[in-house]
Amino acid sequence: MGMTVVYVVVSLAVCITYFLAVDHFLMDSQGLDFWYLFRK
Amino acid sequence: MGRVAGKKIFSIMALCAMVGLLLLPIAVSLPSLAMGADAPDAVKKEGEAKVEKGRDVYYKTEGIVVGAPAPKTVDGPRDYPRYNFESRVLLWFANQQHLYYGSFVLAVPIFCMVIEFMGVVTKDKAMAKRYDQLAYDFIKISLTAYSLTAILGGILIFTFLTLYPAFFGYLSGIFRPVMHIYALMFVAESGTLYIYYYGWDKMRDGFLKWIHLSMSVILNVIGTLLMFLANSWIGFMMSPAGVDEQGRYLGNIWHVIHTALWNPLNVHRILGNMAFGGGVVAAYAAYKFLASKTDEDRAHYDWMGYIAMALGVAFLIPLPFAGYWLMREVYAYRQQMGITLMGGLLAWLFIIQATMIGILFLSTNYYLWQALGRMRGAEKYQRYIKYLVFILCCGYLVFITPHTIVMTPAELKAMGGQQHPVLGNYGVMSAKNGGINVIITTTILSFVWYMRGNKVSTVSWSKFGNIFMGVFFACAYVNIIWLAIYGYYIPANVRVGLSVPQVATTLSCLFFMFPLNAAMMKGAKQMGAIEWGKISVRSQYALIMLATAFTWMMGLMGYIRSSVRLFWHVNEIMRDNSPWAYTHTVGFAANMISFNVLFFWVSILFVFWLGSLGMKKAPVEAKAGVPGGAPQPAGGH
Repeated sequence: MGMTVVYVVVSLAVCITYFLAVDHFLMDSQGLDFWYLFRK
Repeated sequence: MGRVAGKKIFSIMALCAMVGLLLLPIAVSLPSLAMGADAPDAVKKEGEAKVEKGRDVYYKTEGIVVGAPAPKTVDGPRDYPRYNFESRVLLWFANQQHLYYGSFVLAVPIFCMVIEFMGVVTKDKAMAKRYDQLAYDFIKISLTAYSLTAILGGILIFTFLTLYPAFFGYLSGIFRPVMHIYALMFVAESGTLYIYYYGWDKMRDGFLKWIHLSMSVILNVIGTLLMFLANSWIGFMMSPAGVDEQGRYLGNIWHVIHTALWNPLNVHRILGNMAFGGGVVAAYAAYKFLASKTDEDRAHYDWMGYIAMALGVAFLIPLPFAGYWLMREVYAYRQQMGITLMGGLLAWLFIIQATMIGILFLSTNYYLWQALGRMRGAEKYQRYIKYLVFILCCGYLVFITPHTIVMTPAELKAMGGQQHPVLGNYGVMSAKNGGINVIITTTILSFVWYMRGNKVSTVSWSKFGNIFMGVFFACAYVNIIWLAIYGYYIPANVRVGLSVPQVATTLSCLFFMFPLNAAMMKGAKQMGAIEWGKISVRSQYALIMLATAFTWMMGLMGYIRSSVRLFWHVNEIMRDNSPWAYTHTVGFAANMISFNVLFFWVSILFVFWLGSLGMKKAPVEAKAGVPGGAPQPAGGH
């Protein structure tokens, strides 16, 4: 059970970081700001 | 020994001849291309006074005029001779049938190449033989279809010459420097195809097999080049280049071919042809499965249907993204054209298209879930299918929601506007992008489940792998839906860019989860064999549905792409002055597309029947390919 929690936490950390990076850099490559709403 | 050496030498000579045939059009074209470039010099020599310069409408470069202006046609028997029928409809029919068959005969050899290659590299000899037989069955189907494609091509040219002589004369004048290349490529394609087909038995083993496989590569290179050349015609009609504003050729044939839409059209058509070809072969296998009398035959055609469907869907998944690229380039070329397509006159056809795309993916998923039934050990996934159905339905309903609805004045008044107060919110691109990406991600998930249906991973990190895979898919869904919702709160110029990370999220699932799954399933424990042939009859109807929906969608998309030129033969260069230079109603177009689909399927059934006559005459050959004995193909399934 303990390892399962660790695996879930590690997977979540990797996946969230990856998808946020995808969102940020692919918007940036088009000259657009992904964080537009939050910066406003 | 001497006989084998003789065969080898003969095969190498045949391969060299094919390479020669492939290169021949290029060699022949060199003087002609050079002539295109020299032509201005020739004109110069005749006298400086005759030299006239023009500006390329697309590339904006200056060139010396070497062609006649686009003819200004008038409605009459000279420019538009006719029978007592709408000429455009006749041309539409001839064009569409040629395109269906052309797509089929270009796609099937690519499948043959892939399957034959799988047979060559597979270590299991029984399996290799089955792959080889399957590839042979595929090419046999396409051979009869190839003759029909050529006949339909002839009919198409005669239809053009008879009904639209002025337009066809102008277009063939523009493409004159590459016309003979097209013809020679066609000869090379035919020659290679016949040697490839009839040399199958003689080149079955060892080195000769590799030579035979090389021929399939050459065959496909020629086929693809032929398609690229044909695409340059439609690319020129939509987004002309290499001519001045009067339509006069400026001597650079590469500019005429390499128009703004040529590359996206090429990519879109290759993927489309492959998905279509896979669908047609899968439908053929389904038809043979349903007609089978023995378990052995059912097993063979079940396997054939699965392979064809898997290959077709592999190209269907990236197809919407290629479509997005094409539309993006259309907008970049002429914004008005893009608006006519997606937000104006033709917008409702895109709703129909969305419906068809959804049906394609629903049918694929349904087939995969049914296919889990032929695996022992796959029962564990059955109880989760209802959740996938729910996700797919939600994505589908959002994807097909129209932005505005056609209504009577009373209905309009009752609803308070053209947009529904609740559902109207889903009829925008932000939501639709989310919808289709959710559908595609779910299809990828279904495939992953199918591939591990009867297996249990034995790698030491399988627990982490399973959790990571689950979390990755969950995060992908969240990211797609989050981006769709986020799009409602930011300005349009920022929102339009969100489709790129959305697509990247879906493709991440495809490109990361498939290899991860394959790594986890390496040396996996089998819970039970795949029992080929033991699949529900419903699954075979799903394959037929898949093929029919694809045929209908191809007809629809072709009509949309062609209609966007409105009243132009060649966009902004040559006006269509025939009485039929108007856009048909959605109902008429749908009926016409349905007629084309029906005609194609009736005629292809005839082709299948002809193929089956050949099979009956060679029962020993056909038996070699039955996979009933060994239930599963090598390398997963």
